[in-house]
Amino acid sequence: MTSPGPFAYVGKPTPSREAPRFVRGRGTFVDDIKLPGMLHAVIGRSPHAHARILSADGSRAARHPGVEAVVTSPEHVELTSPFRPGRYASGLGTHVPEYAMAAGKVRYVGEPVCALAASDRATAEDALSEIEVLYETLEAVTSPAQAVAPGAPLLFDEVGSNEVWRNAISYGDVEAAFREAEVVVRHTLSMHRYSSTPLEPFACVASYEKGGGTGALTVWCNAQAPEVIHDALRETLGIDDVRVVITDIGGSFGQKIHLIRKYVVITALLSMRCGKPVKWAEDRTEHLMAGGHACGQEFEVEAAVKRDGTVLGLRVREVDDVGGSLSTATIHFTNKLNNLFNTYRVGAISLEGTAVVTNKCPVVPNRGIGKPAMCFVWERTMDRIAAELGMDRLEVRLKNVVPTGAFPYTTPSGNIYDSGDYEGLLHTAAERMGYDELKAEQARARTDGRYLGIGIAMGIEPGGRNLSRDLALLPDVKGIPGSGGTSGATLRIERSGSVTVTLGVPSSGQGHETTAAQVVAEVLRIPPERVRVASTFDTTASPWGGASTNSGNNFHLYEIGAVHGAATQLRDKLLALAASVLGLPADELSFESDGVVRSKADPARKTGLVELARLAYNNTVLVPDGMEPGLQTTFMYRFPHAQPFAVPDEQRRVRAQFTFPASVHMALVEVDVSTGRVDVLRYLVVGDNGTIINPGVVEGQVIGSAAHGISVALGEAFAYGSDGQLLTRTLRDYGKSTTLTTPSIEVEHRGMPSPFTPLGQKAAGEGAAIPSPAAIASAVEDALEPLGVRVRDLPLGPESVWRLINGLPERVFD
Amino acid sequence: MKHHVQIEVNGRPRDDWVEERELLVTYLRETLGLTGTHVGCVVGECGACSVHLDGALVKSCLVLAVQAGGRSVRTVEGLGRGGELDAVQASFVDAYGVQCGYCTPGMLLAAHALLDRNPDPDEADVRRALAGNVCMCTGYVQIVRAVLDAARRMRAPAGSERR
Repeated sequence: MTSPGPFAYVGKPTPSREAPRFVRGRGTFVDDIKLPGMLHAVIGRSPHAHARILSADGSRAARHPGVEAVVTSPEHVELTSPFRPGRYASGLGTHVPEYAMAAGKVRYVGEPVCALAASDRATAEDALSEIEVLYETLEAVTSPAQAVAPGAPLLFDEVGSNEVWRNAISYGDVEAAFREAEVVVRHTLSMHRYSSTPLEPFACVASYEKGGGTGALTVWCNAQAPEVIHDALRETLGIDDVRVVITDIGGSFGQKIHLIRKYVVITALLSMRCGKPVKWAEDRTEHLMAGGHACGQEFEVEAAVKRDGTVLGLRVREVDDVGGSLSTATIHFTNKLNNLFNTYRVGAISLEGTAVVTNKCPVVPNRGIGKPAMCFVWERTMDRIAAELGMDRLEVRLKNVVPTGAFPYTTPSGNIYDSGDYEGLLHTAAERMGYDELKAEQARARTDGRYLGIGIAMGIEPGGRNLSRDLALLPDVKGIPGSGGTSGATLRIERSGSVTVTLGVPSSGQGHETTAAQVVAEVLRIPPERVRVASTFDTTASPWGGASTNSGNNFHLYEIGAVHGAATQLRDKLLALAASVLGLPADELSFESDGVVRSKADPARKTGLVELARLAYNNTVLVPDGMEPGLQTTFMYRFPHAQPFAVPDEQRRVRAQFTFPASVHMALVEVDVSTGRVDVLRYLVVGDNGTIINPGVVEGQVIGSAAHGISVALGEAFAYGSDGQLLTRTLRDYGKSTTLTTPSIEVEHRGMPSPFTPLGQKAAGEGAAIPSPAAIASAVEDALEPLGVRVRDLPLGPESVWRLINGLPERVFD
Repeated sequence: MKHHVQIEVNGRPRDDWVEERELLVTYLRETLGLTGTHVGCVVGECGACSVHLDGALVKSCLVLAVQAGGRSVRTVEGLGRGGELDAVQASFVDAYGVQCGYCTPGMLLAAHALLDRNPDPDEADVRRALAGNVCMCTGYVQIVRAVLDAARRMRAPAGSERR
């Protein structure tokens, strides 16, 4: 373990490498791609929430002038194989084959049932209405309670129940905690369905060429996890020669990991049918209906507490509304292992849960996958404990957080919190927010009939995926389905002395090019401008990577680890080459800025990057025996501190993730009690993201994810009618926040470097989306405290808040 | 049925035949290849397709190409000169006002529309002017900072800009 720094480039706000092309309008998004002879596809979707497909006839559409390929759901099932079950549905007992299109039955509004490709988009849309699909409609179930009621219609007859999964896990002695408890605090909580709605919807271009073996397929798509697309195309279409190209992505947030595979398969199938390239670009309503939602989650929570506020244990029962697919049924439950204890030193917890299918959009990863809800459970419970014991909310947290001297800290579930100062984060936030002054102001405002509220929430942002996590929940699974994770980076020092970098993952706005260039610059001591990082991912050119999927929050660990490792290898090789050129032992040389290698004893003896690079490529006779010529390397990173608990032990302890940034959020809100409108007057994040590589980039990630969590809390939501129709089909109906409703979020960094990573870096992506919904809930409850209001459910749109104020049932929709 | 239109796009005259139902955004992207104008919703709610039509900010998904006949259009590709970034573009780069880049062109044109009529806006003015442009990545703070910074740069005497 080395202590990081001092740094030449890491930690500096070096200019964004991506931004110049975007401000010129010269990004390359999938919909910008035009291939010769390319057709345009549209997809027909189910208008019903639950129905049997009786027949589908595309013959009339196929005769429509300009139409060149039609596929209907029965044909699709005939022509393709189902997806293989994946880790988002770990542990499901019954496997029901899932295809890219509905098979026999539709289970949500917007489920794809047919598709066609035509000369242009308008023609394709005209012809789509000529595909005739006949349905026998079935009763829809739109809430878990309705879905598990006796006699409810079944979504999957093969499973025999709409409750498709049940699991339980516990750590520590939960029963003892409750026996010792002086007070038991109980409440029910819920979080709703939302999405991070990337501004660029799904898009794909597929180009199939017949020939040798199964033919060759190239797809350009805006998927954030190329491995998912690669696997999906091979599994469903049986094509071995698949090339996946990923250019700029207009935001992803987890949303572009999973369901996008269906549409890539459908577009590819159309291309196979007509032998021409086909483009498909989703529209906004399609995305809101069928692009995937965060899971609706309901909780019953009991906390065993001592009178001084010490929490001894927590009992949580969870019901997940997973929508009309089995393919992601368990992910919102399993992902709670990642932040199961949040920031707290609590000895015992039990979590049991069920996944219930409903006739709604399938659930998908989305800025945290279940972590925001786990944090919501903890933080709402901390506020409840404070209220019931008459303690201050800050004090309850200070009483229970992992103490600053206790790091690295191992939670009862086996997570090892690398470093942290949670007390410091709380104190800094309270100080900067002016917590005591605000409480006085709140009291004054109340006498004027104004309702100000101060909200507090804290959370961790686990980073770096460990594939063995789910084994803790499924100890009966035979063999290890996976463990740890890896990603690669390829570095080449050019003969000009500049550096080219290729990463194993695509970027979707997180500043990968900027950040990776800084790390290379740091190790090779050259200016970051001399490092070019590829902006396009291509399976024929890029190293293997474990996907930038952020609930893995992998970039900081696996990609930065790979870039750092590759650059270090090349630096060592440069030193060895220089030693040979100068006739000196490598340890008598120093590696200086701008690629100069100099003798420590005799500074006049030196060589440089350009000379060494020319030699390595063009003068191989002078390359020492046993040394590979050239200055190119691919480094695959493996987290070197993955043990202990890299795989679950007998007590099911496992490291769900590997680095643990943390943050405290504080909000000041004002509630208009006549309308229920909530205004966020101030919002502060005090965070520990370890060593920050680029402060401008990280600040953007923190503010952006906090803004999303605030918008989620204040009303962005999917609402369904009792017939299973989605009522929120546009961004405005959905309630996305704008510049007018998003507060001017303040960020303060209080970084504690990780002792486990090469630069001390930790994750920095989805983190602020995790505590922010809880912080707003805390603030609104605090504002309405004189009215006796308790906030248990999100979202807190004006109507919900007005109902709370007026003592009416809070939830308007299922 | 196709209609003949003459449109000035980024200072250059164009002469084209367009379908009557063709949207201005489709014409810009598909016919002219100006793909910097993005599509995020096609119903005027996200602002990714914002352009200037005779100097006014419009959402090009809510305008038919035929309606642009005889008028002038400015898109993101028309900003800056000779490959140099203009003050608004440069401020967006320097303030980290860009993440995925999808909303960026629309934001730039909305910012220009504001600064054309108000060279000295405050934060509230900027937030009002950008209210029709949605960004899912940034939380707006760095974008608002960029626009305020651009206003300062544009008010500064010529030659004092950093880029």
